[in-house]
Amino acid sequence: MEKAEKETIRRVVAGDRDAYRVLMDRHYAAVFRISFRITGNEADAEEAAQESFLRAYNKLPEFRQDAAFGTWVTRIAMNTAMNLVERRNRDLSVYAPRVSDDVGEGTVQVASHRAGPERVLLDMETATLRQTAMASLTPMERTAFTLRHMEEVGMAEIAEALGVPVNSAKQAVFRAVAKLRRALEPVAGGMR
Amino acid sequence: MKHYSEEDLIAYQMSESPEARSIGEHLEQCAECATLAESIAETLRVFSAEPVPMRTPVDMDLSWQRLRGNLAVLEAAPKKRWFSLWMWPAAGALTAAIVVMVVLGLRIRHAEQPAGGQETANQRASVTDALKSLVGRHQQAHPVNGHGPLTDAPSDDPQISAHLDSAERLLTTVNHEEGPLDEATRVQAHDLLLKNAVYTQTARDRGDLAEAAVLDNLGRVLIGLDHAAETPRSTWQLRLEMNTDGLLLDLRVLRQNDERRSSR
Repeated sequence: MEKAEKETIRRVVAGDRDAYRVLMDRHYAAVFRISFRITGNEADAEEAAQESFLRAYNKLPEFRQDAAFGTWVTRIAMNTAMNLVERRNRDLSVYAPRVSDDVGEGTVQVASHRAGPERVLLDMETATLRQTAMASLTPMERTAFTLRHMEEVGMAEIAEALGVPVNSAKQAVFRAVAKLRRALEPVAGGMR
Repeated sequence: MKHYSEEDLIAYQMSESPEARSIGEHLEQCAECATLAESIAETLRVFSAEPVPMRTPVDMDLSWQRLRGNLAVLEAAPKKRWFSLWMWPAAGALTAAIVVMVVLGLRIRHAEQPAGGQETANQRASVTDALKSLVGRHQQAHPVNGHGPLTDAPSDDPQISAHLDSAERLLTTVNHEEGPLDEATRVQAHDLLLKNAVYTQTARDRGDLAEAAVLDNLGRVLIGLDHAAETPRSTWQLRLEMNTDGLLLDLRVLRQNDERRSSR
């Protein structure tokens, strides 16, 4: 870990709360990005990122500085975001409106409204289907899949972050793809 | 013609397959596998990366203001002195005692060595038998932990995989935690504990005793986590308990059974 970051951590641990802003400014984008990939929406990503930085702050006195702060806080973010997805899955009444909110807010790729109404409808249907399919994955499957496929993180790194063997991480990714493929079958014309 | 499984083709499409070359050649000849491979590729295209919303400086300011309001002033944790001064003489005395015991043991063994080799062989055989009998008795008493495969019966309940997934992650977190548990971990342990009781009963009702035993064991650890005293030692004890019982391994085996079911 670089010297300036170590010094900043030392200051925070010595009681200088405002020094933590330096760490947050530097790593917030990465933490938010990972949280967005796992939660799938901006509001939850923001909540997970905030909670991750709070948890990292409270654990900072015990942080062993042989690892980079960025790697550490990103791992905390993965777990925090996964737990949030789990809470949302449990409370369907909270999660259900969020899916349609997302489609309306355009956080998923929908066609321009200048396209024909049929195309817009089809794209919205696909977007909803994508959201529903992603919601059917377990938090670990969702995290492993998004990190591998969307963020192109290596399997070994994903396994380490999730605290599971590499083979388990691989299986989680493969299982996720199989589930997503089955979820798409109704619109894909029943491919095998 | 030998067909490749869906998992093999997913690994191929994600550039994770060790047999990429032979799969590629096979796909040129097998229409069935080629259709499945194309379906997987289409799935991956549909779920390609969406753009991540940008955080503006104003967003960052708001985030910081919200976060700062929750930050307590920290106090540095006292450094652990693993080998304080009084421990050096104690360690020296212990080493000396071990050396004396080893030397004495060797001398006694030498004095008692029988003349014939036959008797030694018999003694070795009886010790081996005694050990085998002990291991056998242990396996009978603990048929689940540490002597996998525990069970190959997949769970019928789809929610169980999510539960096992959460439990595995929680235990992994606790296993890597330093110091006392934080509030979020305790809340998660409490939630899992409530669900675990239901799943344990369901497994018993279904007659899946192996799964019920693992969930029972998980419940015991979760109760410990839920009621753990606020001391660094309590989590250390739980970690030791989890490692000793192979609970994490058991959970992974149960989850793998589930994976097999979903891949069928």
